[in-house]
Amino acid sequence: MNMTVTRTQRSAAVAGRPGIMADQNNTDDKGKFYSEILSPSELFAARSRSHKIPVRGQKDFFPDDSDEQKQRLEQSLNEHWSLVSEERVERLGNLVKGEWIPSEQIVELQSPAGKFWQTMGFSANGKQCLLPEEALYLMECGNLQVFYQDLPLSIQDGYEKFLSANTVSLQQYQVFGHLKRLGYVVLRFDPSSESSSYARQLNLPQSRDRAGRTLKRKRSLSPAPSSTPTATCSRAEAQEECSTEKMEEDKCNEGEEDKKLPEPPEAQSSADEGGGRSWWMTDVLGDSDKDSGHGSKSVSSCWDFSSISFPDLGSTSREHFPGGLAPPDPSLLPGDLKVGFCDVGAWRQKINLRQVKMSANEQKKEKYRRRWDVNKNREVRRCRNWAEYQELMARRKGKREGRPAHLWNREVTPLHDPTQPIATGELLEKISVIKPTHLLEGASRLKDADDWRICFNVYQPDTVADFKKSNPGKPYSRMCVCSFHDPVPDLRAIKLLAYQSGDIPVVIAVVDYGDISFYTFKDFQLPTDVYP
Amino acid sequence: MEALSCGEQRLGSEEEEAAPAVGVSLCDSAPLVWRMQDLRAVRARGLVGVLLGSLPRTPRQNGRLGRPLLLLPEEEGLLMERRAAAALPDRCQDGGGAELRQQYEEEEQRSFEEQSVLALEDRKSALLRAMTGAESGAASADEALQRRLQALDQNFTFPQSAMAVQLSTARAGLSYCPEARAFLQAYGPTGAEPRCDIRYQVFRDLRGRGFYLTSAGKFGGDFLVYPGDPLRFHAHFIAVCVSLDESVCLLDVLAVARLGSNVKKTVLLCSPGPDASVCYTSLQWSGIV
Repeated sequence: MNMTVTRTQRSAAVAGRPGIMADQNNTDDKGKFYSEILSPSELFAARSRSHKIPVRGQKDFFPDDSDEQKQRLEQSLNEHWSLVSEERVERLGNLVKGEWIPSEQIVELQSPAGKFWQTMGFSANGKQCLLPEEALYLMECGNLQVFYQDLPLSIQDGYEKFLSANTVSLQQYQVFGHLKRLGYVVLRFDPSSESSSYARQLNLPQSRDRAGRTLKRKRSLSPAPSSTPTATCSRAEAQEECSTEKMEEDKCNEGEEDKKLPEPPEAQSSADEGGGRSWWMTDVLGDSDKDSGHGSKSVSSCWDFSSISFPDLGSTSREHFPGGLAPPDPSLLPGDLKVGFCDVGAWRQKINLRQVKMSANEQKKEKYRRRWDVNKNREVRRCRNWAEYQELMARRKGKREGRPAHLWNREVTPLHDPTQPIATGELLEKISVIKPTHLLEGASRLKDADDWRICFNVYQPDTVADFKKSNPGKPYSRMCVCSFHDPVPDLRAIKLLAYQSGDIPVVIAVVDYGDISFYTFKDFQLPTDVYP
Repeated sequence: MEALSCGEQRLGSEEEEAAPAVGVSLCDSAPLVWRMQDLRAVRARGLVGVLLGSLPRTPRQNGRLGRPLLLLPEEEGLLMERRAAAALPDRCQDGGGAELRQQYEEEEQRSFEEQSVLALEDRKSALLRAMTGAESGAASADEALQRRLQALDQNFTFPQSAMAVQLSTARAGLSYCPEARAFLQAYGPTGAEPRCDIRYQVFRDLRGRGFYLTSAGKFGGDFLVYPGDPLRFHAHFIAVCVSLDESVCLLDVLAVARLGSNVKKTVLLCSPGPDASVCYTSLQWSGIV
């Protein structure tokens, strides 16, 4: 029984061999097995010991069996052993006491917690408790003394009792300790505290204690703030469409919407002769005569526009409409429709009668736009009704250059119509059959597996000052622990981890015995160097 | 503790007399060495291991770590093969009893008393030093000193909270009696993965040639090979263990050679041969551009 041995050795120390326990003082190794327990005088002396780590000197290149080298090696080894053999000695008043509760695998504090309480521990049933890894780390730091059955546990006891499959493994503790020693706040990862996949799909607000994260997530995902600009944008688009349709003109959407493309390039020249104004533009009245005359000249026109008066409510000259609009010629109206006299006075008040002032640039644009006037096209003019016009459009569409018809009249058509101009970047996007995928894509459909799991939430050291356990906020990263001999996680595992972690990067701590390396898999967007 | 064989004890073998057996405790199936004597014994056999714990002197840094010492599987295997590893009793049995508790309390009390005496002496000597330093030897000063010393004797209290206590590293009172120790089972390739076996054979051969070895995961190899104790020497080689009948991807070879030349080490491809020998191939840039 070990404690018995303790007693005998201690008694020996007390009985007049103080100092025997200090390993570094003892040169007579053989046959003696110190239990490394310090005598009271050594304990007392340890209060004023140095906290500096001796600096290691320059290493030699190759052993040459020289006495000098041997001496240096011996000195290095002595320094090493004295450093490693040093025992933890603390003032009782600086130690927090705790008790190991094996049934719950926790350490219950019996004196008030110290500064570490800000980042470690939890309260249960009105008592302050520590998780085993936290307790072990604090023991190693010389802040905590843990008792079991009223006897103090050594660091070794801590390792052997606290680390197990039920709590954290040795490797996980190595990573925990490594990060803690660097100053990070490390909390156990609790998968249940993360929103379920279903909740995430619904974008439900999360539980109270994750409020900080919820807010952030809300800000980025909620459609609310973006809805207004989208609405205005679409409204603007709609207006644009309206106006272009009204004008029977289409220069901007020639790329996409075939139906709205009334004027193929070949028709332009024939339309040119028209003199640049629509026949219904009446701000210059003289033109209408010319245009309508031109219209009457066309062979198939069944309307004599010179005899049909189109009212111009905006006309500045009042005499056009002395009192109102005369009823239209009944022959122009369908059978049983009767239209009477119309008083336009009220309407005129609602109309903006001011002359439109256009800048030189706008005038140029307007002029250019008018050249595309669909009505100047002879073929279009020949159409007697809507059906004929559509037929014409269909014919023209089929004739368009560079589009072999047989490729386009089947179910499967080319990805892009080469006649339609498109930015290079967009074209590349359009013809890329295999789309790049993101880490999270399809991850929600994968079934959970046990081989990889997140162990810790890690928070950066500079957040320690205002860190709150009750509301830790968004972790800096999440930590998985594996061994150098374990296989590299496959894409499925990485997807699952990324999905579980949400927008927080998952870091994999790879333990090679004593060395720990940190790796992370990140989404990477291949850059496309395309000049539009 | 299924890895222990309790019955086999071969006391008195030549090696055992040369160096004491190493006490190993398993923690989460990892072989850890806790006691200083064992750490020294491991080093005396040319095995390095890895320190895992916080250094008591300055615990919050990762540059220098302290006990426990973790043994590599190959180091453990070598110790076992040489019958130099002893499993230490798992953990103290539960229910030590009132006797132990009483013992502990008595020790604490005794330590406290002794420390308060030491503290008083410490204070007195400090006072003496201060007084003699300030006024040199006048009779009045002497008197004052005596008075103050007396006052100190009467009024000095050593608070319980000021008592220094030890947080033991190794489990207190581990018994070390050769008759009771259970030798760890000899290392055998049977059942082990072929890859582990190759690693072990390479390790064993290189150690047998006097090299010190540590793990070389960071260098993309199996072992870092040192010409002497790593405390004093840099590693010269990166050992990569490959089976003789295994074809190696050229890209892997290039990658590890490039890495080796970048850290000024030579890459060794190590393959155990059929007759318990190991075949070493070093990689070097030819120098032809």
